[in-house]
Amino acid sequence: MRLRTPNVLLPKSWVACVAVLLLAGVLPVSAAKIGDMAETDWRTQAVRFLTLSDPAVRYALAGTALLGVACGLLGGFLVVRRMALVGDALSHAVLPGVALGFLWNMSKDPVAIFVGATIAGLLGTGTVFLITRTTRLKEDSALGMVLAGFFGAGLCLMSMFQRLPSGGKAGIDKFLFGQAAALGPGDVRLMAVVTLLVVMVLGVAYKEFLLVSFDPGFAQVSALPTRWLQHLLMLLLAFSVVIALQAVGVVLVSAMLITPAATAYLLTDRMHRLLLIGALLGLVSGVSGAFFSFLGTNLPTGPFMVLSASGLFVLAFFLSPSRGLVPRWWRSRGQRVRIARENTLKAVYQILEDEAFRRDSISLRELAEKRRVTLEAAGGEARSLRRAEFATLDDETVCLTPSGWQRAAAIVRNHRLWELYLTHAAQVAPDHVHDDAEKIEHVLGEDAVRQLERRLQFADTDPHGKPIPGVHAVHGPSPAARPGKPTGYGGNR
Amino acid sequence: MNLVPPFEFHRVVVAPWTTELANYGVMALMSFLVAAACGLVGNYLILRRMALVGDAISHSVLPGIVVAFLATGSRGTVPMFIGAVGAAVVTTLLIEGIHRHSRVKQDAAIGIAFSSLFAIGVILISLFADKVDLDQDCVLNGELPLIPLSPSVELWGIALGPPALVRMAVVLLLSVVGILLFYKELLVGAFDPGLASSLGFRPGWILQGLMVWLSIVVVSAFEAVGAILVIAMLILPGATASLVTDRLGRRMVLSVVHSALSAVLGMHLSVWLDCSPSGAAVVAGSGLFVVAWLFGPHDGVLPRIWRRRRTLEGVIDPAEAEDYPGSGRVIR
Amino acid sequence: MSDANRKTEAAGEPPGGMAPLEVHDLTVAYQKKPVLWGVDLVAPAGKLIGILGPNGAGKSTLIKACMGLIPPAAGWVKVFGKPISETLSRVGYVPQRESVDWDFPVSVMDVVLMGRYGKVGLFRRPSRADRDVARACLERVKMLPFADRQISNLSGGQQQRVFLARALAQESDLYFMDEPFAGVDAATESAIIELLHDLRGKGKTIFVVHHDLPTARNYFDWLLLLNMRVVAFGPTEEVFTYELLQKAYGGRLTILSEVAEAVRAKGHLG
Repeated sequence: MRLRTPNVLLPKSWVACVAVLLLAGVLPVSAAKIGDMAETDWRTQAVRFLTLSDPAVRYALAGTALLGVACGLLGGFLVVRRMALVGDALSHAVLPGVALGFLWNMSKDPVAIFVGATIAGLLGTGTVFLITRTTRLKEDSALGMVLAGFFGAGLCLMSMFQRLPSGGKAGIDKFLFGQAAALGPGDVRLMAVVTLLVVMVLGVAYKEFLLVSFDPGFAQVSALPTRWLQHLLMLLLAFSVVIALQAVGVVLVSAMLITPAATAYLLTDRMHRLLLIGALLGLVSGVSGAFFSFLGTNLPTGPFMVLSASGLFVLAFFLSPSRGLVPRWWRSRGQRVRIARENTLKAVYQILEDEAFRRDSISLRELAEKRRVTLEAAGGEARSLRRAEFATLDDETVCLTPSGWQRAAAIVRNHRLWELYLTHAAQVAPDHVHDDAEKIEHVLGEDAVRQLERRLQFADTDPHGKPIPGVHAVHGPSPAARPGKPTGYGGNR
Repeated sequence: MNLVPPFEFHRVVVAPWTTELANYGVMALMSFLVAAACGLVGNYLILRRMALVGDAISHSVLPGIVVAFLATGSRGTVPMFIGAVGAAVVTTLLIEGIHRHSRVKQDAAIGIAFSSLFAIGVILISLFADKVDLDQDCVLNGELPLIPLSPSVELWGIALGPPALVRMAVVLLLSVVGILLFYKELLVGAFDPGLASSLGFRPGWILQGLMVWLSIVVVSAFEAVGAILVIAMLILPGATASLVTDRLGRRMVLSVVHSALSAVLGMHLSVWLDCSPSGAAVVAGSGLFVVAWLFGPHDGVLPRIWRRRRTLEGVIDPAEAEDYPGSGRVIR
Repeated sequence: MSDANRKTEAAGEPPGGMAPLEVHDLTVAYQKKPVLWGVDLVAPAGKLIGILGPNGAGKSTLIKACMGLIPPAAGWVKVFGKPISETLSRVGYVPQRESVDWDFPVSVMDVVLMGRYGKVGLFRRPSRADRDVARACLERVKMLPFADRQISNLSGGQQQRVFLARALAQESDLYFMDEPFAGVDAATESAIIELLHDLRGKGKTIFVVHHDLPTARNYFDWLLLLNMRVVAFGPTEEVFTYELLQKAYGGRLTILSEVAEAVRAKGHLG
């Protein structure tokens, strides 16, 4: 059976689920709480989830939405303070507390587990700070050690419970990878209380948390109770990690803190919007995680939530309008195309200028020679100009349109003005200015050009003695259309 | 309802070394080999402040292993290594890619990368539960108790031991040889990559080599002892040793000593409490760290408190101040 | 010892114990290593005071300890005759530019408004009046057009101006500025110094950690030469002498002593 290699992953996975179910019909599947094991067709499950007919579905939905909001909100502070992995250590450190809370009355009492886990989590982060403050160990080692040490202790405790007669079936193992389906009304009530608390505290003390996160020294000088605010933030973080435990699982709960907030960080430049977007994304990934894990049987919820959150992150990473990889690439590509077109236009201008503008069109061969490229490449450049309606191209003859002519004159003007400026104002030798001007010609704005012209007192020739195209050349028809007129400023004014 | 079993001296302390040696001795040996190999590579991670990259990689080898398993249908050593090294490379590329091409910082990038990959691994396991004989519990705890039961590998007619044990021993041996061969390259690369490149070493290659080494250690340990012991043992031995001494060479030796002690203590602890052997080894290792933290010669908490009891001059060395010109004398 | 020191003691006598800053026997240590040792000084009111010294001399540590950001190992600090915790509302602070993450998702306006938080009070929102103050402060450093920009889209000089505007918004009487001239363009540097002179004209006392010896002489009224201990503290013309600079910087920085020599050759005022 193991030798079968699945080449198509998704469809077979559902077959595999059903197969496992039929083979091991006696497994203590806690998802069975939601429904009868016989119907595990994922379409039926999806319908049942979406119609919310089952109370367990409603609890799972409410719970995952609440935890998504709480984690997404608080995660924002972790991400902007570069403390993302503190969240990781915190979430692993709660495990022994979960086990001890469980020990309280040997049942899954939400409040006892909540209290135990919060205490353990705070102890864990406290230990991290103690280690970094009193030893030479750096924060990364301290975090890793606390994470592993507390988690190991928690595993020990849990494996001890499993021996006990009542321990095995109480569902404490669901805390590792999360099972939203196991959420009960008591859990959801607790989650609602905590999420409300988080929202209220952040609403009241947003300004304080903002300053403490941005510049703690300044916060202290502004007489804010910096230390208390830090502790309060850590306490709220511990709370939201703990309510998320049962649905997401200890191992992956940190991702619910980090990923939605990091996604929001890619989408906005303002902290309050980051928090709101983070909460929204947390909600979406929480609910969709619950949905996906509901489709199969005995599927853990946590990993699906994390994958939904990561999927949203990937989308933002590539598509965020301001910072996404694709829009950025597209913009820089647009710029490259523009610069290439402008260089072609300049070449056409120079060819025509060499013949004192007696013609108004050039051949592709001339263009290729001027640009020092092959005939095919010159053809490509000319077609690019045609696409931008800067030129017409028929039968190997390039003829600039009025808009192409204006653009060409403007670029040549920018180039020569800048050369002149460098030689005059910056005392650069005339044979050193060309390369600089090659770059600057594409980015000079009209305002900068006006300033340059004023500073150079509307000079009409560049350091190499070539005329600088003037206002009429840049904004009027091509000189070929009005023969005999000079192109420098002096003549046009 | 007796959670903590009574401490029976014979059962807990004597039996594992006598009648039960074939069982517990092999388990302790295995967790020592894992801890020592992890601890050696972990020393360099700590020096480079990359402890959490190690954490990330030990999480993300999971999908690598599962995919290798699903692709080949076997639990052979070679596909596992290829899968794990592939996963490690993907992890480092993801971390680099995220924090280089966006404003998300490295810490969040680490968190996103390893949690996504680990989530994929867990989902694959639960989807193909019939084909992958890894379960979610084994991902964390490993199968340490099962190791003594597996058939022994024979070489030239000599029984060497269970395959996982032999594999781990080979990895440890290779690690030691690697350190001896490349001691100065690894040290310079960790200490000052700029200096390394000016001395003619390639810091990029040293880093890549370290990552490959790390993933080989992690994958050979992962199946046997689970993710948690691996993460803990990447950091605990080196961190404990660094509280005791400054020299890298001594740290290496001490971290091996730490591994041995935590393996043995952890074995006894797990026999006594009848709990997860991996978890017990981590608890023992953490206990050793706490001891070093309390009594360590440099940063020890207790020596420090004792020093503070004495006068301020005991805390601050006035001789340091004498070196500086100042008008302290003049004003007073 | 030198003239400067004796004069310092005479000039620094607090008028009725209400000197803007009074430091007595301040010692600060990180772990076992001392960073400041027995610092004594009484600052005069309404002066622009430069803090000079080599790297690692404890310049930033001194101002942080004065503001209570670092607990002292010994000694005390009084601001306007009271412990710092009671007079924080009269203290303004410009931290080092590198001390914050400029990728942080806040706008220029948000940062300047932070200067008002101390006055606004806990858990209250900044009022319209606070926003007006912040806007006026941005206008004074000529950064109003950038109010809605995210702070990472600013040049080094612009970032420093934003920090100054934030300190202005604090409306304090005593300012501590940690290297406000580090890495800024010439235009910003002269704008800052103009602003500082303006503040001093209003009777504020300003401590500025400074790195550049040649400009120090023209910028500041008083100088504090620091190298773990106070080397000299007094009016610039008395402190800015070759002997004292040499003493503060030791033989460690030959370039600086060359600079100091040049200064002395130009006209020795000490």
